[in-house]
Amino acid sequence: MKIILVCSAGMSTSMLVKKMKETADSRNLEVDIRAIPETQLKNEIEDLDVVLIGPQVRYLEKKIKAQLEPKGVAVEVIDQMAYGMLQGDKVLDQALALVNIGKD
Amino acid sequence: MNSKAMQKFIEIAGRIGSQRHLVAVRDGFVAIMPLIIVGSLAILINNFPPFGAFNFVEWMNGIFGEGNWQAVGGSIWNGTFAILGLLVTFSIAYNLAKSYDVDGLAAGLIAGAGFIMLVPITGDGGLNMGWLGTQGLFVGIILALVVTELFRILITSKMTIKMPEGVPDGVTRSFEALIPAVLILILVGFFQAMMTVFAEKSIFEVIFNIIQEPLQGLGNTLPAAMLVSFLNHLLWFFGLHGTNIIGSVIEPVYLPLIEENLNLFKSGMSAFEVPNIVTKPFLDSFVFMGGSGTTIALLIAVFVVIRREKNHPYRQVAKLSAPAGLFNINEPVIFGLPIVLNPVMLIPFILVPVTLTITSYIAIATGLVPRTVAILPWTTPPILSGYLVTGGSFRGVVLQLFNLALAIVMYIPFVMAGVRMLNRNEGKAK
Repeated sequence: MKIILVCSAGMSTSMLVKKMKETADSRNLEVDIRAIPETQLKNEIEDLDVVLIGPQVRYLEKKIKAQLEPKGVAVEVIDQMAYGMLQGDKVLDQALALVNIGKD
Repeated sequence: MNSKAMQKFIEIAGRIGSQRHLVAVRDGFVAIMPLIIVGSLAILINNFPPFGAFNFVEWMNGIFGEGNWQAVGGSIWNGTFAILGLLVTFSIAYNLAKSYDVDGLAAGLIAGAGFIMLVPITGDGGLNMGWLGTQGLFVGIILALVVTELFRILITSKMTIKMPEGVPDGVTRSFEALIPAVLILILVGFFQAMMTVFAEKSIFEVIFNIIQEPLQGLGNTLPAAMLVSFLNHLLWFFGLHGTNIIGSVIEPVYLPLIEENLNLFKSGMSAFEVPNIVTKPFLDSFVFMGGSGTTIALLIAVFVVIRREKNHPYRQVAKLSAPAGLFNINEPVIFGLPIVLNPVMLIPFILVPVTLTITSYIAIATGLVPRTVAILPWTTPPILSGYLVTGGSFRGVVLQLFNLALAIVMYIPFVMAGVRMLNRNEGKAK
């Protein structure tokens, strides 16, 4: 499974990515998680399952959704509190929940 | 707070933040930032002040011969800052074309060619370097946007040469761009000829005099700096990336100001005498310490107010945010404390940076602290940034320490109020 976190420079979300990877490892999940700036999203579409958007760039939600949802990619803004507290487990759960809904 | 008005505000800010042309301008500047930083550091190293008895510049000149060492930095400058207008023209056109899903490289190259076509030629047949740099910035931006729009229209209208199947992709693409390139460059050529015949001036002079210079004059004032500070933090308060949203407007106005400082510093003027007070590094180094909202001071205020309760939510957020905060990344504290839409934090989050803008401006205007003569990566930690940005002056560090202390004192009562509110809400919940 491939999850991409989008923020303006890919810096603040990269801290969160580290935590999410730790959680995924402890649960023995095979997940590819990365943080990138919005402009690079186009190059990452292959095999992409979920895009999570940093709350500070949540105005990009509409644009990214229009771009990716037709391709079957789930898109959502990261829960603000979980983002701020760097709660990797909660954000990972958010991503997993999105994929399950998508498969129904 | 009126949630309808708030929704409207967020929507408008969002629209600005994702408007195609503004995004292309902003990302165009972001793309050339590494070159700008290298150019700026080259100048800083060339003019580094003696450190006690040790004079780095003299030492290097002793090794390589007088003036030879400076030639390294000087040539870096020529390839970066000195041709900033040209670089940004290419990168804005590239980004805008990419956003339309048309060939970015072709659009960038055509825009670059068009830019050079407009540059006045000097008496001995050279390009007038003055316009290649920041003075030509606005012409570059306008040209990049116009050229790319034309390019897109021509490409999508199928005014292109079709290649038979089996021809390699690269070849097909270069031929696809051929007709648009011819038409656009002929148009630019005609425009240039008309300017020479009828206005007897270059478009660079015209745009510089009627748009760029007045805007820069405005930008270099205290009210403008306060407005930039205020808007940035108002946007962040709503959880929107303020620096990102206003970046497309800020960069073109403020880059030439720091360039002017750098250029004079390069030719030997002291950092006290260079002309411009308000620059982007001025805000980055003296106001946005630890990120927007001077949040490094907020973190310290939290540690000061909450000493005993190690598990207090505020303290936990502060602990989580501190390492990144040293490098001016502060999303965790902004969203975790939270500052976003938190009425208690609204006042200090906006008031602190605006106040620091004023104190910094006064400190520099009165000559206590040198002006900014370097562009640093925005992740440079405070203290170090204050020293480097002023061309290696400890007065810059002193100003940062003063600002930090002031910000901590201003944040403390609001942290206390926040803690009280949190306790009261918890009491209710129980």
